Amino acid sequence: MSVSNLLENWSQFRHYHPVDDKPHDPYKWAMSIDLDACVGCNACSVACYAENNLPVVGKEKYAHGMSMHWMRIEHYWDEDVGEEGGREFPDQGAQFLPMMCQQCEAAPCETVCPVGATNHTADGLNSQIYNRCVGSRYCEANCPYKVRYFNWYDYPTTDNVWPAEMTQQLNPDVTVRGKGVMEKCTFCVQRLSAAKVTAKSEGRIVHDGEVQTACQQVCPVGAISFGNLIDPQSRVHKQWRAQQVELDKDRQAKDEKEGGTNLRGYRILENMRPYPSVMYLERVRESAI
Amino acid sequence: MMDSGFDRRDFLKVMGWSGAAVALSGCGNTSIEDGKETVVSYVEAADYVIPGIGVYYNSSCAQCDAGCSINGRVREGRVLKLEGNPASAINRGKMCGLGQAGVQHHYNPDRLREPLLRNGDKGETITWEKAYALIAEKLKGVSGEEIAFLSGGVSGHLKVLLGNYLASFGCKNHFVYEALAPGVVRAANKKAYGAEMPRYNINKAKVVLSFGADFIGAWVSPVHFSQQYAQFRKGVDGQRGVLIQVEPKMTLTGANADRWIPVRPGTEGILALGIINALGTATGDIAAAVKGYDKARVSKETGVPPGQIDKIAAILKLRSPSLVLAGGAAEGYAHGSQNAAAINLLNHVLGNVGKTVEAAAAVPFPQMVPAKGNTAALKSLNDGLAAGKYKVLFNYAANPVFTAPGALKFKDNLSKAGFKVAFAHYLDETALQADLVLPLNSALEDWGTQVPEYMAEGAQINILQPLMENLHPNTRGMGDILLALLKQRRPEEYKNYEDYYAYLRAAMLQNKVALGGNGKDDDSFWNETLTKGIIKLAGTTTALSGKAGVAGLKLPAPTENDEQYPLQLIPSVNISLRDGRHSNQPWLQESPDPLTTIVWDSWVEIHPKKAAELGIVEGDIVEVTSRTGSIKTQAYLFPGIHPDAISIPLGQGHEALGRYAKGYGVNPFQILDAVFDRETGELAMYETRVKVNKTGQRVIVVKDESAAGAKQIREKIAGRVSSDNVDLSKEV
Repeated sequence: MSVSNLLENWSQFRHYHPVDDKPHDPYKWAMSIDLDACVGCNACSVACYAENNLPVVGKEKYAHGMSMHWMRIEHYWDEDVGEEGGREFPDQGAQFLPMMCQQCEAAPCETVCPVGATNHTADGLNSQIYNRCVGSRYCEANCPYKVRYFNWYDYPTTDNVWPAEMTQQLNPDVTVRGKGVMEKCTFCVQRLSAAKVTAKSEGRIVHDGEVQTACQQVCPVGAISFGNLIDPQSRVHKQWRAQQVELDKDRQAKDEKEGGTNLRGYRILENMRPYPSVMYLERVRESAI
Repeated sequence: MMDSGFDRRDFLKVMGWSGAAVALSGCGNTSIEDGKETVVSYVEAADYVIPGIGVYYNSSCAQCDAGCSINGRVREGRVLKLEGNPASAINRGKMCGLGQAGVQHHYNPDRLREPLLRNGDKGETITWEKAYALIAEKLKGVSGEEIAFLSGGVSGHLKVLLGNYLASFGCKNHFVYEALAPGVVRAANKKAYGAEMPRYNINKAKVVLSFGADFIGAWVSPVHFSQQYAQFRKGVDGQRGVLIQVEPKMTLTGANADRWIPVRPGTEGILALGIINALGTATGDIAAAVKGYDKARVSKETGVPPGQIDKIAAILKLRSPSLVLAGGAAEGYAHGSQNAAAINLLNHVLGNVGKTVEAAAAVPFPQMVPAKGNTAALKSLNDGLAAGKYKVLFNYAANPVFTAPGALKFKDNLSKAGFKVAFAHYLDETALQADLVLPLNSALEDWGTQVPEYMAEGAQINILQPLMENLHPNTRGMGDILLALLKQRRPEEYKNYEDYYAYLRAAMLQNKVALGGNGKDDDSFWNETLTKGIIKLAGTTTALSGKAGVAGLKLPAPTENDEQYPLQLIPSVNISLRDGRHSNQPWLQESPDPLTTIVWDSWVEIHPKKAAELGIVEGDIVEVTSRTGSIKTQAYLFPGIHPDAISIPLGQGHEALGRYAKGYGVNPFQILDAVFDRETGELAMYETRVKVNKTGQRVIVVKDESAAGAKQIREKIAGRVSSDNVDLSKEV
């Protein structure tokens, strides 16, 4: 596909939800993360390093904001802790939130890419084409979640991130990215592709639970569920439905009622209309103590 | 996995042939591309090597001693990633970050590759034959009393071999030293429940009241407890579990509590008695013993508001069964045993024993159960070394030069040992002091068995098997080394075992019936065992026997304010780095601390109020001075700490070990005073008092959170609801 073809037929390639004539079929990968279960242990983040060949950048580059963790754990204190007139201690604990690419249906990063290196796949992923990327970093600037990571250095060679035998750990299913390329969470697309190929060769679609992302697989508390949102049998589909969160809405049932509901599903920065594919479930805290 | 007649060992030997060559072809920048290697055709690939397809083998994680079972993905002869083994009752297919980093231990560029013999300041490469001969020579004419063996926690057949080796020269000096194991709690549990480590059913409790037990982060068996925690949150009988955490410095578990209670350091036991008093259900001796602990007094001594004590008592009364845990923050005092006893008493009063505290199963092979020990063992070794008692000292899986409290002056005393042999993966601080250093296989290339201390359901023996050929030709497994050494002492007994693998296989087959292999032929039993990676046994269960007793329970009044050293030092356990043995694994260094998001460094946590008092802001380099010594590191203002305490994480501050560890941060072990628990003699980790001074330097703290700190500005990113509004049991 040439760039001119891409530009001329942009609307075909830039396929975002909701589009009536081209619905996601048969897959729409989505996730839900239960923040009440999540304990903030970082196991998902380390698993992501292992699966996706993420470079460890070292202290100096980390200080410069060059860390490459596709999956990061954000941690927040309550607003009034330590403030004037507020509480002295965070006595309801901290808030943890695993943050990675939200695989938006109308991704702000996609529209700004000058070379079409990031675009939407038919199964609802926000894909990144490394060998098309020219490193303008517009996408990074436009991402409201700050989950795109740029290769400022040629980590494998000049930076010696994987010295000696460490290269043997690299996952052969995943490219090792070079300098000047943007990267981000892919929902472990290498695992998805393998599962889809297997299913196709057997003339069926991928069952729920047949494919797991690395973060989901490792999570000790099982906070992450991942699957095909279109499949009514999938856990993700059932969770989204139970929480009345709809992919193509920017306001959900939960937001409509004043004073809250018994729903806890929400999507981050929904009002900006990126239509993210990750639903979070609010953390619950006991009122009796 | 396979029919009989095929041996997994042969498989690996074959894999070595093609595996080594094709292994390099998978990734981007290898010597193959430079034309330096011979590419072997896939036409003659070894069995079970399918180009491009990962094959999975079960083994066990050796990153900590929780005993999780792993499932290693092996492709073209090299191990790529570790997953949890779903069949294990301990981790059920899950893992932690530390466990994931096991591959970085295996492929670490700083691993030792050759046996080294000291020559002045340098290590000279020697052969294994020479190394073994040297050990034999040094042991000649030395009596058993003059030999000491220091090790970390060992279990399974390795422990058996080690015991046999020491017995071969009548040596009784096996010192087991795990710097962070819960020694005091074990002793208190033994008294209260009749078992050192009963089974804690977090998933059956409606309320968990934890006194400083970081069971989600780094305590005993965190992956197992995390899963139980998830069930506990979903609720028993439709009621979501409530977690209350009492500790002076917020741990990861504290950060997930419904209520985190910053208690005055050292007064945990007083609070426990105060809660018993407030419950008002105790009778007899217990009621008499807690009579003096009324709310006013307890509140004054612990700093916990009276209303809070009432609320805790009320919820414990209302929701049963509950579970009370005593952990690191409660045991780290001179009266740590008393604290733990008071906390365990609460379980008895609440009637939890037998419900959420149950008897754990044990493997029917007592010689294989883990050897346990803490700083008390190290101290007695240290005393012996200081007296010049030992002519030969062996060291395995412990790094006491790094982890011994500074006040013991262990490094100085170590130099008084005649000949020091270290079995090591890295040239760590202790190996650097040794005369002979022998390089070990990684856990991913070694054979072995493992008996976890904390048993989940029934009993189990974990199998370790190589997931790939030795990465370095001249490293050996600890089992092979011990066998070679035993052959020097008792050649007749061990001559039939070619290597540790042969020993292990023979030992297991000898007990085939007891291991559940009744009626199976040897090969199929053995292959099945290796395929599963776990031997599940019904185990023997001894009923809990401890009684609720208050005899000897005496809690001291809180310590007076110390003018010279006004603050209490809390050496905290980082969930990834633990006691520092894994600090050279870069994923762990770059994995942010969950509560501060700091990477690659140490820090001092100070409450913002205290910091304002001392004029300290984030990034100030401060000097923390104890009676034993002082260290300098960056300050981080942290609201989750008692204002009278400061906290520095353990695990950093290496002077050796490797490129990812050396020179990063400071080591708080160095400034720990030699204060010990009065009953068990274990180190009182939290008893060191310090003062903090600004040095005038300031740095930018390298952390993952933004400069604005951990606040959600305007838009709510992480949501939270009150439990009144939701019913989790009805959710999908």
